[in-house]
Amino acid sequence: MRLLRAGRWITAIALLLLAGVYVRALVYTPVERLQGLAQKIYYLHVPAAIWAETAMIIVGIASIFYLFLKDPRLDRFAHASAEVGTVFAVLMLTTGPIWGKPIWGTWWSWDARLTLALFLFLLYVGYLLLRSAVADPASRARFAAVLGICGMVLVPFVHFSVYMFRTLHPMPIVLKPSAPSLPGNMLATWLFSVAVFTLLYVGFVTQRYALSYLREQLEATVGGGDSGMGHA
Amino acid sequence: MPSSSSLRHAWAVASKDLLVEFRSRTGILSAVVFVVLVLMVFNFGRDPTAVSNLVLAPSILWVTFTFAAILALNRAFQLELENQALDGLLLAPIGRGSIYLGKLVANLVFVATVEVIGVPLVALFFNVEVWPHIGPLAAIITLATLGFVAVGTLFSAMTVRTRFAELLLPVVLLPFMILPLMWATLATTSVLADRPLSEIGGSLKMLAGYDIVFVIVSLLLFPATVNE
Amino acid sequence: MPDTVPQNGGYMVAAYVVGAVVLISYALSLYLRTRPRLPA
Repeated sequence: MRLLRAGRWITAIALLLLAGVYVRALVYTPVERLQGLAQKIYYLHVPAAIWAETAMIIVGIASIFYLFLKDPRLDRFAHASAEVGTVFAVLMLTTGPIWGKPIWGTWWSWDARLTLALFLFLLYVGYLLLRSAVADPASRARFAAVLGICGMVLVPFVHFSVYMFRTLHPMPIVLKPSAPSLPGNMLATWLFSVAVFTLLYVGFVTQRYALSYLREQLEATVGGGDSGMGHA
Repeated sequence: MPSSSSLRHAWAVASKDLLVEFRSRTGILSAVVFVVLVLMVFNFGRDPTAVSNLVLAPSILWVTFTFAAILALNRAFQLELENQALDGLLLAPIGRGSIYLGKLVANLVFVATVEVIGVPLVALFFNVEVWPHIGPLAAIITLATLGFVAVGTLFSAMTVRTRFAELLLPVVLLPFMILPLMWATLATTSVLADRPLSEIGGSLKMLAGYDIVFVIVSLLLFPATVNE
Repeated sequence: MPDTVPQNGGYMVAAYVVGAVVLISYALSLYLRTRPRLPA
């Protein structure tokens, strides 16, 4: 299947380039004076954050189009984006506290990015669970679309409220993780990482989309599970 | 603007549900029993020198209201499901929007009843002065409740026919409940601590904004949950 | 300004390892799930 092959190639290239990001970030990017080596986690955490959130918005937009057009390709795409978004959210939730511990002294803090990561993760899990709980494919697509749209609408609220919460409850800040006003070398590494994560998103979603398509084909031709072919 | 007939239809749907609910009273009873239970447990468990009432009361208040809301929401479409009455409801010459509004109103009344009972109980057991702040508190409670019940009513239409419906609803609803709860708890804490009302302005605005957005979104999306 | 840079390299390593594990695991999961299966 052409889409699958394309997806695999893109993913392979992206992973190779990811190794390049690793080398560049770990070896060739200067160490930040105040935060030390731990600051380099930034080059993984933030691109993951960008895509975890963007993937949710894409789920929402695809869902809106699905409700109007009823094209199953849109539903497959939304599903793929949700699963990939979950992976990036997991990445955020794991690298976030690992970064937080040396910087803030605690594993968890209700700071903007970690809280958003948690919300995104919960939204994605809910979306995937709802999909798996609905048997009828047409209902599943519709319900998932409804949830996807609500999730997308929720995201700006989370942004606002976390900012509000932060102004009321100052964080236990020892060192402040800075927003990008990065000197050239660091900015280049960061941009490189964002580009690679973009490629990862594309590769992953393409493959996941292909997987959904292949499974549907299987269901259609086999008409049930009587040939011993299971689904993962 | 909704027409007068669609509002009448909504009220018809709501009053049918409320009539059934108040006739059997099991829902309200279990919610109230839960409230009393939580209040007692928290009272026995805390150390008054370590945690003051003012710190604990708002959170407990909102935990119990949330539970009541989930209880109401789980029952919202169950009635129709049991007797396959949902098809009947859908065949009736009323708009989908009316069904949603009717269900929303019924759920709100249920939760409001629990809240009206719960607030004085919290005031009593935790020795907090509620009456002088009753205006702002009512506003906070109304806005927050509308927020998660609006989304919850939409979601319950989807989860009711799934396998682990009672479990799936809270899981799916969770992110949508946390935000109104957060603003509500912050504002309640501020009000009970006698802080100037201007401080809760932000929370109230966020709650109102959330309500407006999600009632509209839920109203628009509801047909997708029941149309074949 | 601190005199020395904080010695927290261990965290950096942990995060980068976790990151690689998460991404490679998912890539692997996709690969395994999309392999053609033989009828039983």
